[in-house]
Amino acid sequence: MELRSYIIRRLLFLIPVLFGVTIFIFGITMLFSPIERASLYVTDARQMTNIPQLIETYGLDQPFWVQYGNWISEVFSGNLGWSRVVGMPVGDAIWAFLPATLELSIFATPIIILMGIFLGTKAAAHKDRPLDHGTRVMAIFGWSLPTFWLGLILMMVFYGYFTGLLPPSRLSIPMELVVNSASFIRYTHINTIDAILNLKGAVFLDALRHLILPVITLSVTQVAFIMRLMRSSMLESLGKGYILTARAKGLSERVVVNKHARRNALIPVITVAGYVFAGMVNGVVITETIFTYKGLGWWAWQSAVRLDIASVLGFALFNSVLFVLVNLVVDILYTRVDPRVRLGGVMQ
Amino acid sequence: MSDWKFMARQLVKNPLSLAGIIIISIFVIIAIFAPLIAPPPEGHLDHYMIPRDGYSATPKLPSEEHIFGTTEGQYDIFYGVIWGTRSAFRVGLVVIGIVLVTGILLGSLAGYFGGIIDEVIMRITDIFLAFPALILAMAIVAALGPSLRSVMIALTVVSWPSYARLIRGDILQVREEDYIEASRGIGASNFRVIMRHALPNAIYPTLVMASLDIGAVVLTAAALSFLGLGAPEGYADWGQLTSFARNWIVGPSSDPLRYWFAVTIPGLFILFFVLGWNLLGDAFRDILDPRLARR
Amino acid sequence: MGNLIRIRDLTVRFYTYEGVVHAIDDLDLDIRQGETLGIVGETGSGKTMTALAILRLIPYPGRIESGSIVFFDRDLHSEIELLKLSEDKMRSIRGNKISMVFQEPGAALNPVYTIGDQISEVFLLHQRRELGKRANKQVDRLLRDGDGLAASIKRPFWHWQKRLYNKIAQESNPFEPRFLSHVPLFRRLLWRLKNESKLLTVDMLKDVEIPDAARVAVHYPHELSGGMKQRAVIAMALACSPELLIADEPTTSLDVTIQAQMLELFRRIKVEKGASVLFITHNLGVASEVCDRVAVMYAGSLCEVASVEELFLHPSHPYTKALLDSVPMPGKELQTIPGALADPLNPPSGCRFHPRCPSATPVCQQEKAKLKEISKDHMVACHLF
Repeated sequence: MELRSYIIRRLLFLIPVLFGVTIFIFGITMLFSPIERASLYVTDARQMTNIPQLIETYGLDQPFWVQYGNWISEVFSGNLGWSRVVGMPVGDAIWAFLPATLELSIFATPIIILMGIFLGTKAAAHKDRPLDHGTRVMAIFGWSLPTFWLGLILMMVFYGYFTGLLPPSRLSIPMELVVNSASFIRYTHINTIDAILNLKGAVFLDALRHLILPVITLSVTQVAFIMRLMRSSMLESLGKGYILTARAKGLSERVVVNKHARRNALIPVITVAGYVFAGMVNGVVITETIFTYKGLGWWAWQSAVRLDIASVLGFALFNSVLFVLVNLVVDILYTRVDPRVRLGGVMQ
Repeated sequence: MSDWKFMARQLVKNPLSLAGIIIISIFVIIAIFAPLIAPPPEGHLDHYMIPRDGYSATPKLPSEEHIFGTTEGQYDIFYGVIWGTRSAFRVGLVVIGIVLVTGILLGSLAGYFGGIIDEVIMRITDIFLAFPALILAMAIVAALGPSLRSVMIALTVVSWPSYARLIRGDILQVREEDYIEASRGIGASNFRVIMRHALPNAIYPTLVMASLDIGAVVLTAAALSFLGLGAPEGYADWGQLTSFARNWIVGPSSDPLRYWFAVTIPGLFILFFVLGWNLLGDAFRDILDPRLARR
Repeated sequence: MGNLIRIRDLTVRFYTYEGVVHAIDDLDLDIRQGETLGIVGETGSGKTMTALAILRLIPYPGRIESGSIVFFDRDLHSEIELLKLSEDKMRSIRGNKISMVFQEPGAALNPVYTIGDQISEVFLLHQRRELGKRANKQVDRLLRDGDGLAASIKRPFWHWQKRLYNKIAQESNPFEPRFLSHVPLFRRLLWRLKNESKLLTVDMLKDVEIPDAARVAVHYPHELSGGMKQRAVIAMALACSPELLIADEPTTSLDVTIQAQMLELFRRIKVEKGASVLFITHNLGVASEVCDRVAVMYAGSLCEVASVEELFLHPSHPYTKALLDSVPMPGKELQTIPGALADPLNPPSGCRFHPRCPSATPVCQQEKAKLKEISKDHMVACHLF
């Protein structure tokens, strides 16, 4: 009961934030001429030929607040504008590109979380010994790596040097044909999952082969980030009195570290899950661009380069809503992990 | 000021931060002496534009004339990375400079006065922080038109809120402490209290964040340039040089790594530049964080 | 009565960035069976380090340089050299035969686990066989009394459980239960062990006079008061009926009224459980109330050991005298000890106390005094004797 009222309160709290976000986004569009802005309101290809009429209908020469009102009511009715890059409404484009990005995150997220926590724990447990120094230097390197460059280098080696071993894009052409054939049912549009559901091993392996490099590229920076945080958080927790108590009980070092210290060390790590999500969204744009992996990030890049403003802003709006929701989930999760946090206490 | 002396000694003592200092010093020297290291050809008007040696797309291998080779479009890679150092410093320092000033100003206003001012400033930061940074920066650059200036504006817009929050939090903490009460008790004005007491105590964590962020800002700027949303074509910029190599990561089948130089060299400059700042910032934080301090 | 613990020539050093810290120097100390021995001294005199050395839990960068700590195991009727024990064997002694109560109950309890979880952990670790026996009895009762359809379906499962718990209750630790307890999901099959340990936990909490023990067991530490937390910590330490209970300033962080209750609890523990207690405190008054004998430490070395009455009536070491004089008492002028506590990085030569000692002689600067018995059960380390 307490949890439900807390969630409701937090959701209400989101309204002013999202109001500000939409004003901000719409403010950006005001940098454009009414002709360019018209694409924000287009719902099908035919309308693109009749821009002056759109300016008339939506009052694009009216004052800011009138325009904002028109725009926001369009957004609420599900119209985010027209994506020139792919020739479909922005809402449809997001829906169409989402599965590819989801597939990437499904593989990258567990790697990021588990590797980061595992390496951070190990480094802290071996503080000031070679393993710690090694992982620490690796983490600083990983954190400093330009993601796009890492992707190129990986491709140079695993696609160029080992000819065609781990190719870019989502699927190789023969498998693309299988996936698009009538007998292959697209349950989710997530290739690996669909392949399993259709019992097509070859498609699954091919999809996996195309996923390896993007997943590595996407994960390295985030693993380094979580690892560093986990290490310092573990060190703090290992210095606490309850660790001495646990050792004095006769518990083995493994239980002391993995149970007593880690559970406490995870609390600050959970609070930055939102940052990790944001970092992944940034990484997705770069990764998908390099590997021509056609997901949301690739689409956003194409739109930005071709100055397709409706798509870029639609994508930004979509992400900010998602980001705000992720932060809400993180806060709720936080109250579950740390018994000391009272639900009301998170609000100011 | 013995604080600074102590910190300087600690920074030199730690091998990691010493490496960071050395790396950054090398880049500073490169940036200052760029006209000597890579002299622009005669009659070259804008020194930041990389000189071209022809218009062929295929990169050329390193030679006497082009010691790092040329990249797509025959841009000289050596010239590009040397002058690109200047671009990197400019983006990093200008953005962080503006962000620090805005952040400190708004953060200390919010933290010190509290109430409605605090509420308004914090809700505005909420809005800015509701976007993943690169996405917002992309949108702003796309709206302003791709250029280095747009990149700098975009990065400033996405970075200031975290500084304002950090400063505000620290000032709130400091404000509770006794000596601030005491100085107000003896009749010091609000402005004086902020300037003399609250800020100096809140400033260290901000500086740590700033030194770590210079690396991050340069990284994001390079990413935007790489995506084609930054410097104009031919401008000396590491991100752009990397993007020139995108079509050449795979050489002819007889020699798949033929164009390695075009891919690797600009990226290594970015990596080491960012690494330098991160090493420094990391050591900085270890020294300043009393919880991690070594007894 | 023999000795439970015999410490000889114990030396502990810390290797820090600033230099080598001499935390304990050539310490000789005996703890007798069934007695409460107090260690008294200022902060930094090495009291806590002595306790941690017995458990071999000296924190990094400290090290036990040399010496011996012999522990007399009553069950095995044999002497064990703790400092030569393997880490595995040492772990089976910690929390089981020797356990410790720490100064800050708030810090000593893990904030993310319930009180019950943290105490039952001790039973699950050290009393597996006992828990196995108890679980076995439970299954036996089910097999005997169970009837009806449900029972006849469950019967094969009960038989399997009985075999399993029988194995656990046996001397050696056979493969099957060991395997089960190491695999995450299968661990639940051994839920009866956990159940039994929870029952024992509640008994234990009742034993340290916690009201409503069953409810307190499912509370998290932050939901309890300081006194309750300290009782829970004591319950944890007493869980396996240790032969030695080390209490490191257990009352310092508590209110005065709770302090008195806590001292009463310690006195009762000693009488009921027959355990020896090593009671570390900086408060002479507290020491005089609970201890049978008192050892006085200064800067890592032992000054004087005697029974409480003897020590308070005939303090012999100049430091003990100074310490007793500095206890505030009504109608008496308060005295302080001149000088500052010895610098652990550069301890004074010879007797550690000589720079502050009113009756120091030249020999005190050069040589450390050996511990001498000046009357029955009264040992002093001073050149004056």
